[in-house]
Amino acid sequence: MSAPGRSGSSRLARKRLAGHRALLATLMLLVAVASAFPLLWMVLSSLKTPAETMQVPPVWIPRTPSLEAYENVSGVINVGRSMWNSLVIASITTAGILVTSMMAGYAFAKHNFPARSLLFSVLIATMFLPPIVTLIPLYRLVGSIGLNASLAGIVVPNLANAFGIFLMRQFIAGVPDDLIDAARMDGASELLILFKIVAPSVAPAIAALALFAFVYHWNSYLWPLTVLQGNAQDYPIVISLSRLLSYNRGALNTGLVMAGATLAVLPPLVLFVFLQRFFVDSIVGSAVKG
Amino acid sequence: MIKTYRASAGIMLAPAVTLIGIFILLPMLLTIWLSFQDWSTQTPFSNASFIGFDNFREIFGPTSVGRDFKRALLNTAIYTALSVILILPLSVALGLMVYQRDVAGGTALRTVLFSTYMVPMIAVTLVWSKLYSPSEGPLNQMLGLAGIGPQPWLSSPRSALISIVVLNVWQQIGYFTVLAVAGLTQIPGSLYEAATLDGANRREQFRFITLPLLRRTLLFSAVIAIINAVQVFEPVALITQGGPVGSTNVLTYHIRRVGIERAQGGLGSAMAVMLMLALVVVVCALFAFANRKDDE
Repeated sequence: MSAPGRSGSSRLARKRLAGHRALLATLMLLVAVASAFPLLWMVLSSLKTPAETMQVPPVWIPRTPSLEAYENVSGVINVGRSMWNSLVIASITTAGILVTSMMAGYAFAKHNFPARSLLFSVLIATMFLPPIVTLIPLYRLVGSIGLNASLAGIVVPNLANAFGIFLMRQFIAGVPDDLIDAARMDGASELLILFKIVAPSVAPAIAALALFAFVYHWNSYLWPLTVLQGNAQDYPIVISLSRLLSYNRGALNTGLVMAGATLAVLPPLVLFVFLQRFFVDSIVGSAVKG
Repeated sequence: MIKTYRASAGIMLAPAVTLIGIFILLPMLLTIWLSFQDWSTQTPFSNASFIGFDNFREIFGPTSVGRDFKRALLNTAIYTALSVILILPLSVALGLMVYQRDVAGGTALRTVLFSTYMVPMIAVTLVWSKLYSPSEGPLNQMLGLAGIGPQPWLSSPRSALISIVVLNVWQQIGYFTVLAVAGLTQIPGSLYEAATLDGANRREQFRFITLPLLRRTLLFSAVIAIINAVQVFEPVALITQGGPVGSTNVLTYHIRRVGIERAQGGLGSAMAVMLMLALVVVVCALFAFANRKDDE
């Protein structure tokens, strides 16, 4: 290492690494800013006064942040009621998905029955079916059992899905058979085994599925819009939000629209910030193990 | 013992299989059946009358129904291709940024990128419609600082579709980045060590180790990106209504307009069947392409 040539080249290498690091750090910062910018702009705009949102060139940071827009948006759409509807839809749907996915996932992972892999393939194939393909007959079907224009009509068709079954099967397959066999020997019923023994050992996957389902159904728009038609009482927040569109034409009400958007974004984003580890792990689990 | 065990498997499966059967598989079969029927969505299924391939002839025919559908099919194809072309390379580049250990902050970057995936598409649409606003929107202002003239974004038939692609890619890229990172963690570090000893530089390592071993991940990402792309609805329904001059009329929006709003259930179902067929063909071609590469 004492040879002058060696130390010269390692100094060069170090210099090059430092340059590489500086470039990388700059790039990462740019990406983070570009990614975060629209949401930051949304929050900043929600705090502007109408006069500020009208200005050309645009004002970036409101000089006197005000919550006026949040008061105004409540006068245009029923924020409380809509948020409550979204909460009801997302919670009940999530609970249903958890139960049906755990049960079916357990059967696929730990039971042998005829045509098991065929049935599994058929169910998994539905994961890749865009909802629009079934929308027209589903709309009629839900109407014919008297569930249209109601919260039940939004919830019931979504109480089971292939992604949940797939995720649960992947993780339950990793639970040791000995654990289950021992409980069977003790005469425990299969449902008891599932909820008392299997469920606790796949708790992180259950949490991930719960969060995924909740956020997905909080955000979902196409089906509620189609099934509710004009029943404004039962609008979830995303549909109420879309009603702000007529306020979106000019710049005058930008603050109001952005305040509404901020409110709708808050619940899924807060859930994510606190529980992102589960989200990420379950995506990785569903992609890698598949 | 075996019998009760069998029965319990049936009980475990019953809720999920029944629900998916009634609300996904049955409607899917009904879509196929309805595509051969003359049927109004406002009437019971029993009112449908068989008309053979007439619906398909009409949606590919020379009338306005055919012109609108073919345009929507083309728009969806362009939209999907643009999405995949943007998402795959970006997800790998961002995945490498999140995964590397030369500079701290990879995990924080992942959090920022993935958080946009949590935002309801309606909120994304409202925010971006303001960002794109030609006069008081910040995007044109930033372009102005860079010396580029104002762009029409969503209001020109030439740029509206790509503008919607961009807002969708912005929303979803965090998800695909996480998939890419999952793929990167599967590549054994020993491969890179061996390559370094052999004198391969970073670029060569990326070309001959990273990319080939990411192929399965990229295939999965491409399939998901395609399935997501054909579902684009909110920005079209809210901002452009398919315009200007039909340039953003994509299939999910068009099928819903025909099948639900205009209640032409038979025609809408025929369009849905074509979408399903197109997806099957594209996904099969993608798998065949990837497998052929595997053989090389």
